[in-house]
Amino acid sequence: MSRRVLLHVGTPKTGTSYLQDVLYKNRNRLLKDGILYPADRFDAHFLAALDLMRLRWGGLEAEAVGAWEKLAAEVRAHDGTAIISHEIFASASRSQVARALAALGHQPGGDTSNGGTEIHLVLSVRDLVRQIPAEWQENVKHRARFGYGRFLELIQDPERAHRVGAWFWGVQEIPDILDRWGADIPPERIHLVTVPPSGGSPDLLWDRFSTTFGLDGLDLKLTTRRANPSLGVPESALIRRINRVAARDLPPQHYRPLVRELLAHRTLSKRTKSARLGLPPDQYPWVHELTESWIAELSRRGYHVVGDLEDLRGAPAPSGKWVDPDHPPERQVAAAAVEAIKALLLDNAEAHAENDRLRRKLEDARRELVRARTPRLMRSMEWTVQKLEGSGKGRQALDVYRKARKRAPR
Amino acid sequence: MSGRGRAWGWVAALRAGATTPWLDWPADGSGEGAALAAELPGAQQLALLRRLNAHAAASGRTVPAATAERVLAAGVSGRGRSELALVGVAEAGESGQFGPRPVDPDALADDELLRVASALIADDIAAVAAVPRPAPGIVDRVRAVRRPWVRSFVVVGMPWRADAVRADLTAQGHRPGGRRPTAYLLADDLETVLVQAWTARSFDQGGASWRGFVRANAGAGHLPPRADLARMARSAAYKYGAERVRVVLDDRLMAEELGVHRLGGPPRLGVHAVDLVRRVGEPLGLLVPSADRPQLLRDTLGTRLDGLGGPAPTLPPRWDAWLSTQAERTRHDLAAARYPVLGDLDRLLPRPLGEQAGSVAPVDAEVLALALGLLLDPVTVPARVKAKERS
Repeated sequence: MSRRVLLHVGTPKTGTSYLQDVLYKNRNRLLKDGILYPADRFDAHFLAALDLMRLRWGGLEAEAVGAWEKLAAEVRAHDGTAIISHEIFASASRSQVARALAALGHQPGGDTSNGGTEIHLVLSVRDLVRQIPAEWQENVKHRARFGYGRFLELIQDPERAHRVGAWFWGVQEIPDILDRWGADIPPERIHLVTVPPSGGSPDLLWDRFSTTFGLDGLDLKLTTRRANPSLGVPESALIRRINRVAARDLPPQHYRPLVRELLAHRTLSKRTKSARLGLPPDQYPWVHELTESWIAELSRRGYHVVGDLEDLRGAPAPSGKWVDPDHPPERQVAAAAVEAIKALLLDNAEAHAENDRLRRKLEDARRELVRARTPRLMRSMEWTVQKLEGSGKGRQALDVYRKARKRAPR
Repeated sequence: MSGRGRAWGWVAALRAGATTPWLDWPADGSGEGAALAAELPGAQQLALLRRLNAHAAASGRTVPAATAERVLAAGVSGRGRSELALVGVAEAGESGQFGPRPVDPDALADDELLRVASALIADDIAAVAAVPRPAPGIVDRVRAVRRPWVRSFVVVGMPWRADAVRADLTAQGHRPGGRRPTAYLLADDLETVLVQAWTARSFDQGGASWRGFVRANAGAGHLPPRADLARMARSAAYKYGAERVRVVLDDRLMAEELGVHRLGGPPRLGVHAVDLVRRVGEPLGLLVPSADRPQLLRDTLGTRLDGLGGPAPTLPPRWDAWLSTQAERTRHDLAAARYPVLGDLDRLLPRPLGEQAGSVAPVDAEVLALALGLLLDPVTVPARVKAKERS
């Protein structure tokens, strides 16, 4: 039974991909130090989260059957510290949280006196000023066709009746996430890691994660990156337009590599000079008011904060012109579209070349197969002819056959 | 008087079969009860239990205690709001300012209750899946052997129907297969073909609602692969030879050619029943391997819901022109390819408008009524398996 579990449940867009990549790539090194990161594939914890919460995810859920119980069993079997991390755990309901904690060996109230696991809840958090546009962009990269304005309307619906609003607050409303996940965990075992404001040291967030997860002093390779790069305004608008005309025709298994990975992550995210996606100026007041109420509540609860709750305030409204992704600069969208077409052409050319290579390989294999089979066939034909020519009736039969085929004896 | 105590009193009453709405529950202290757990069940679960009690009471029955417990402890499947708090429970001084707003359970949409019910039905079906299927008996094995004197044939076309016809013919000793087979392409009027394509998809993958399915395909201007008869015919011609493809629009003629009494057919599930299957398929996809899901749903819900769930769905009138165009194109393609036809090719065309009585689509309340029936009498391990286990 793991003595200690560090359970990182969110939130999205807080550097979680990088953290998970470091943990996955260094899992063997970590194990030598008694820290288990149980994953036989990089998305093992994502699949476990889908399984725990019974979430459909573009067909990936078919690979998630039994994933949570498998992950929990590995954690239970480990004698030491284990780390679990995925941001979509943030949306788990109270009953799903209870099931998850029980599977990890949690005892009521976090009691460890009779063998209960010491569970530490980690929540990395970022200001809503950056989270709101980032979440819309994430929706766009997951086939969404609604505009930014519509998204802002949906997340301000007090009933949260639409799945978009329900999901957004399910993974972003920090006090509520901690109400669901932390109701039965002592506050000193709940760690809030705040994402520093833009423009600070790029290593600061990692330093905070490293401290929280007890990774300081360990010899980890940090060179790898599985960043979740962001798009500018015209690029986001372009992907949304592509979704409107093509997403229905593209099944998820093709949408993911072509639109999300090739176009969004590998091509359009490199266009860093375009206007960045931001919060509309008229939205700042309610966002700031909500944030203030969160900071007051979180301060009152007495959690362990790594960083500063002031980080949640976010930047003030910029003085420059805000660029609306629902009415983007068309020339910039066109320029982004040309780059997207170029990327698709190059990818298609590569696929053609690979097809040609495979076709040649298949043809070679087919020829070799024929060559390998022919001698045996020839031998059996020669053996038959020899046998037939050894007897009178056999020769007669051969004559009949040859006349029928109109061929002279060789 | 405590809001929480009142809520626990209502929970206890619901567990005992009460059907009183939350807002009508006494607020004068007489309806209070002791807490049964650390947290109150969600509003969706409580609303579902009240509706289940009412459903059972309507037929003079009561909800078994174990079923009531299951409902209260159930999760909410899929995306959307998770367990919601009851309105009027938060005490003065409690924060209650975070998370979704508390709700009156009776004001929740049927769709919210179906998210809980679907997860519970999926659990029942997954439990059936855990029971090993019996090995086929000697009679089944003998039936499965192809008779040399039976002509070679395969059945293609509308997948939902073709699967059932193959199974029925096999049961009659006519197992599809053999050398150089004749390919019988099962066809019907295009609206029926579309309905069957959606039904097959609901069993195989879950996903799109009827309106979403129609809009996605008609809006894009093409037929879904499972309803594209011309494409299926071309595929069969490529595989078996064009001269061996027969378009079947009259079952009687195909039965005569094969020398059987009947062709059989799939269970007749109404629009609400198929919608329930679609909804249950989603949480079930996370409980059993996806390859097992279609057959499992056919064996359980396909059998239980046969003949239930209202009429078959129909296309909204706005797609009439699209349907006619696609039907004409299909008819033209099949006629131009000169496949022999058993029946009349004109049957591919939509029925005259006068025969249709408005658009039929799933209604959440009807779907929920079917779901309540399945919660009251859950799908169980088929009787034949139990018998086998006893022996």
